[in-house]
Amino acid sequence: MAGGSVSECKEYLFKVLVIGELGVGKTSIIKRYVHQLFSQHYRATIGVDFALKVLNWDSKTLVRLQLWDIAGQERFGNMTRVYYKEAVGAFVVFDVTRGATFEAVSKWKHDLDSKVKLANGNPIPAVLLANKCDQKKETSNNATLMNNFCKEAGFLGWFETSAKDNINVDEAARFLVENILANDKGLPYEESNGDRIKLDQETVTAESKSGCC
Amino acid sequence: MAAEDLPSEFDVVILGTGLAESVVAAACSRVGQRVLHLDRRSYYAANWASFTFNGLLTWIQEQNESQTEEVRDWSSLLEEGEELLHLSDTDSASITNLQVFCYTNEEDEEEEAESADPLNTTEEEKPEEFSHDVFIRSDFQTVTFLNQSQAAQTPGEEPEAARPHPSAAQSQSEPTRKKLSYAQLVKEGRRFNIDLVSKLLFSRGSLVDLLIKSNVSRYAEFKNVTRILTYRHGNMEQVPCSRADVFASRQLLVVEKRKLMRFLNSCMEETEEQQAYNGRPYLDFLRDQQLGDNLQHFLLHSIAMVTEDTPTEEGLASTRHFLRCLGRYGNTPFLFPVYGLGEIPQCFCRMCAVFGGTYCLRHSVHCLIVDRDTNRCRAVIDSRGQRISCSHFVVEDGCVGSDRKKMATRAVLITDASVLPGESDQQVSMVTVPPAAAGGPTVKMVELCSSTMTCVPGTYLVHLTCQSTGSAHQDLSPVVTMMFRTTESEEPGNEHGRPFVLWCFYFNMADGSAVEVEGHQLPCNVYVCSGPDGSLGHEHAVKQAEFIFHKILPDEDFCPPAPNPEDIIYDGDEGAAGQEENQGEQEIYLQNHTEHNAEEEEMTPKTTKEKDKNQSRPQTHRNTRSMQH
Ligand SMILES: Cc1cc2nc3c(=O)[nH]c(=O)nc-3n(C[C@H](O)[C@H](O)[C@H](O)COP(=O)(O)OP(=O)(O)OC[C@H]3O[C@@H](n4cnc5c(N)ncnc54)[C@H](O)[C@@H]3O)c2cc1C
Ligand SMILES: Nc1nc2c(ncn2[C@@H]2O[C@H](COP(=O)(O)OP(=O)(O)O)[C@@H](O)[C@H]2O)c(=O)[nH]1
Ligand SMILES: [Mg+2]
Repeated sequence: MAGGSVSECKEYLFKVLVIGELGVGKTSIIKRYVHQLFSQHYRATIGVDFALKVLNWDSKTLVRLQLWDIAGQERFGNMTRVYYKEAVGAFVVFDVTRGATFEAVSKWKHDLDSKVKLANGNPIPAVLLANKCDQKKETSNNATLMNNFCKEAGFLGWFETSAKDNINVDEAARFLVENILANDKGLPYEESNGDRIKLDQETVTAESKSGCC
Repeated sequence: MAAEDLPSEFDVVILGTGLAESVVAAACSRVGQRVLHLDRRSYYAANWASFTFNGLLTWIQEQNESQTEEVRDWSSLLEEGEELLHLSDTDSASITNLQVFCYTNEEDEEEEAESADPLNTTEEEKPEEFSHDVFIRSDFQTVTFLNQSQAAQTPGEEPEAARPHPSAAQSQSEPTRKKLSYAQLVKEGRRFNIDLVSKLLFSRGSLVDLLIKSNVSRYAEFKNVTRILTYRHGNMEQVPCSRADVFASRQLLVVEKRKLMRFLNSCMEETEEQQAYNGRPYLDFLRDQQLGDNLQHFLLHSIAMVTEDTPTEEGLASTRHFLRCLGRYGNTPFLFPVYGLGEIPQCFCRMCAVFGGTYCLRHSVHCLIVDRDTNRCRAVIDSRGQRISCSHFVVEDGCVGSDRKKMATRAVLITDASVLPGESDQQVSMVTVPPAAAGGPTVKMVELCSSTMTCVPGTYLVHLTCQSTGSAHQDLSPVVTMMFRTTESEEPGNEHGRPFVLWCFYFNMADGSAVEVEGHQLPCNVYVCSGPDGSLGHEHAVKQAEFIFHKILPDEDFCPPAPNPEDIIYDGDEGAAGQEENQGEQEIYLQNHTEHNAEEEEMTPKTTKEKDKNQSRPQTHRNTRSMQH
């Protein structure tokens, strides 16, 4: 892979976590972003680990974004390490119509930072999503407050989103991916982990090469 | 994250997140059972867990704290015809004889390490000075801190016999290899993943098959064990096991190479000659093959991994298993999970959660509510005093006070070099150390390098395991002294080149191999999962989980493949933006899944050589690595 000729397209795989309290719209945001769907009916997330969104970032870059929903462990915040492992970005979501879900944002961010770090030891880039903005009552702009909060809590930025009306979901994702790409310039992953084995993609070469006597 | 009440009804309640429990959880949830999975600990995987260095220090301290159990009266939660069965809330007997030794300097020698870490703040000694304090704990566990004492001292401990201090001069005459200080270990602590158990996955073993079959494999990555070593006549030797190894071997004579090739080829088929040795020791069989001492040693200890009195049929079966596992993923039969074995139970927990399982750590079950007439467990009372009904209850063995007489001995070392330095410093080695004296335990040793993500670059993590005959320290410190160097080592002139032990700990852990799933005077719908067993592979836990699953759900498929998230295609009708409904989703989903499988069967080419493999491979060969070109 090193260098790669100019004509070649670079392909990235990024694992992004979507966390926040129950019912804030995590699953809805993922569905909106990946499948262009929205459903009013509440349905727990069953059987789906993550959704994949393929982005033609630019003429030379393809980004495969894995958005990881938090499944049945969300309620008590006891995610396994498997969930956090090798994530390179995160959305923390709250519901603008329920203050308590905003209160919980710091807790989620703190939990995130204690469980996963970038290879260089820095926290992974995180973006705050103020979801269900279609239902926001007062129009008073508390942008300054939110900016300050983001600075303090270590968020790259925040977006008012609506999974229902498709507001700012793409924008927020684009913003996060830009930051991930900036972090990922060195791209050490494939190089240092090239000899890792995934059990569903067997190395046929090894099979024919050695084999028992 | 909010603490709220749990639903009051589940199909299966599982207490303990060890491997067998987690597999049962995933299997049940996968086929639609409502699963509640609890652990009284603050971490996943019970005695199968792995910890960061700092996490491990905390765990060690917790082992020394005696937990007190408050007994409360729950009879108000009982209904007609029910009685209470109390569970033991502590599992103090599963870990014993815990001892910690630190041989490296407290702080970095050159730069004054700023002591940001609270563990180091009380240190006032000069780095060159060693302090050896042995604390005898009230519960007979001893913790020895050489070099690092005050940190772990808590009120009530009485420093006992202090050992003689090695002179400062001695420590300075040490080789120039720069050692990581204790402060650095703590600072880099999060990059360690130190397993409580030491096992490997046989590349054609039942755990690998299960991971593939269920698609749980998507959550884990593995490293090959790159070489098999054995300790003989005071030397570390590489065991040739593949054809390439045999040819490349420099220690084998040409005649030995021929003999070994002939033997390995011929032993795959059962012959009359072999049958004549049934019931007699494998060693006798090997002797009569005129293989010579070298090959006999390799075959008995490193390939069959059996003892001198193992019967021939068993020895041959192990040899064949080893050979069959070669070459599936690499040159040895073994795989090790990146980030440590503690990942594996968590992978199954994730699968359970993805299919709707509910998870709570720091949450236990105090007692069972048993129907007097049917002797069935109807409900449990959790540690918050909530009554939760269930049709089945699965529990780790520690909570039912099953008597576990068998113990395994463990030691974990952080060292500064490999036991056999080679061209690459990124080797994963499986080492067999035959008993020093006849009848003694064989020690299995796994040396992990930093690319397994279990230790920091420049260090190695060494796991030693054997059957216990005494305390862990009694069993294993002779082996450690033989192969490694510490500040306590005598004859400093002799031992250059041997890896230096920066830090290590010893303990005994209950061996779960004899624990029965049923019985224990428990209701008939309560099943007991044993803790880790002493063997190298994972067959015990996987078999046990499958057995329990079929007890609970006799007619269901055990861990059918979970659909690949990338293959979930939403129906065209729903594809339109703004669509308000998608009720058909779950069905479409399952449909896709079956289609996917049918397609898969056609797509996977079957070679005669790889018959068994294809049966257990539901996945297309989709490459999901980053940066494919
Ligand atoms: C499975 C698990 C077990 C735990 N057990 C204990 C325990 O026994 N005692 C205790 O005090 N706390 C435990 N914790 C809590 C957690 O370790 C705390 O956050 C810890 O105190 C923080 O330590 P740290 O900053 O050194 O580790 P962190 O850097 O927060 O790492 C936590 C874990 O995540 C892994 N990890 C970190 N970054 C990455 C990455 N980029 N990719 C993949 N994996 C990564 C690490 O290897 C480590 O195992 C556990 C957490 C988990 C997830
Ligand atoms: N009005 C409105 N409702 C939303 C929005 N996003 C999600 N919801 C609703 O909020 C509820 C919970 O959403 P869900 O995605 O399941 O939340 P999760 O628990 O965080 O995954 C559902 O009923 C959604 O229809 C939004 O942007 N606007
Ligand atoms: Mg959801």
